[in-house]
Amino acid sequence: MRIGFMVGILGGILLAHAGYATIQYRGMLKIVEEEFSRPPMNVVVELLLGLAFCIWAALAAPAKFRSIHPDSEENRIVSLPANLDFMIFNHRGKVFPCNAEYKLKK
Amino acid sequence: MVRAEEAARLDRLESQVENGGGGAWEYLCLVRKLKARRSDKVLKHGLSILNDPKARSKLGGEEWTLYEQVAFAAMDCQQHDVAKDCIAILSKEFPGSTRVGRLEGLLLEAKGAWAEAEKAYERLLEDNPLDQLIHKRKVAIAKAQGDLSAAVNLLNKYLEIFMADHDAWRELAEIYMSLQMYKQAAFCYEELILSQPTVPPYHLAYAEASGLLLVLYTIGGLENLQTAKKYYASTITLTGGKNTRALYGVCLCSIAINQLTKGRNKEEKEGSNLQSLAAEALQRDYRERAPKKLPLVISMLKNMKLNS
Repeated sequence: MRIGFMVGILGGILLAHAGYATIQYRGMLKIVEEEFSRPPMNVVVELLLGLAFCIWAALAAPAKFRSIHPDSEENRIVSLPANLDFMIFNHRGKVFPCNAEYKLKK
Repeated sequence: MVRAEEAARLDRLESQVENGGGGAWEYLCLVRKLKARRSDKVLKHGLSILNDPKARSKLGGEEWTLYEQVAFAAMDCQQHDVAKDCIAILSKEFPGSTRVGRLEGLLLEAKGAWAEAEKAYERLLEDNPLDQLIHKRKVAIAKAQGDLSAAVNLLNKYLEIFMADHDAWRELAEIYMSLQMYKQAAFCYEELILSQPTVPPYHLAYAEASGLLLVLYTIGGLENLQTAKKYYASTITLTGGKNTRALYGVCLCSIAINQLTKGRNKEEKEGSNLQSLAAEALQRDYRERAPKKLPLVISMLKNMKLNS
């Protein structure tokens, strides 16, 4: 998860830097009085790299993804809850020997 | 609903706590969340936390929830003194609270004093006439005394007011099944499937109630069997084909339907595909999990096909 965070931050910094470089490039173009068609090649490469890093970090940084299939092995419903609202105490547990050591100290 | 990985986590925590590694509080929280009924373990580990003043003070406000949980578990394990002590502490902290009053009523129930428990609940109902848990406890009193028809009446009256309570529908369905009133049990399961359509056990139970209906009603038996087969099939879809009981149900239903329609004209013969597929899936399942029993299953399926 650490690596995910680091890579994500690096990707963000790359994107910010690419934006800054583009603004500087436009400023320079204004001085030279040319039209701004697209940012220079290295900025485009930096953008794509930043995009790849951010996507990888978004998938790797969070913890393990949970399964959504209802019939996958971990989502399989094993039992219904025991319906505790209607629980009765009239069961065979009454004949178990009493464990006298259970006491609430006060 | 307890899923497989939650159940595995619960068992792991339980063995960890039993063998002396910490995590008792986490175990108790998980038991509370999954509504599991493991009263002996809860009692043992809950008391170990409550009797240790350092651990108790670490809990802060959750201490009272733990007292309630331990009181419940103590009543289930017939340790009435422990329960009485816990309730005394709770009533000192929260005097006049309905929740504590409910616990006192529960203690009377656990001791077997049904009449006094009913009186206590009536008193609580005067103050809060719409308290769901107290109504449910009255049903439980009737059930514990063995008076199932009174329990059914009380539950029906309760469900007229609180129609969305699926625990109550489930309880009513189980009582009807034990009374062999399968038509009414099927109705209750229909309500459950309507409210929670993705829970396989309800489909399975509905299929079984419909299938058992054939035992009592021979007229219209074919429709009930077809309903049963449909719901066994839906259980198979929901569980991805892993539910063995549903596979057996489909096989048996198809064979029974074929037996019933032998005399009539055989226009609808689409069922045979489903039956052979289910038989194949069953054999594959047994081959993976219990290969020693596979010959038994194969011979049984062959017998059924020959006789039908």
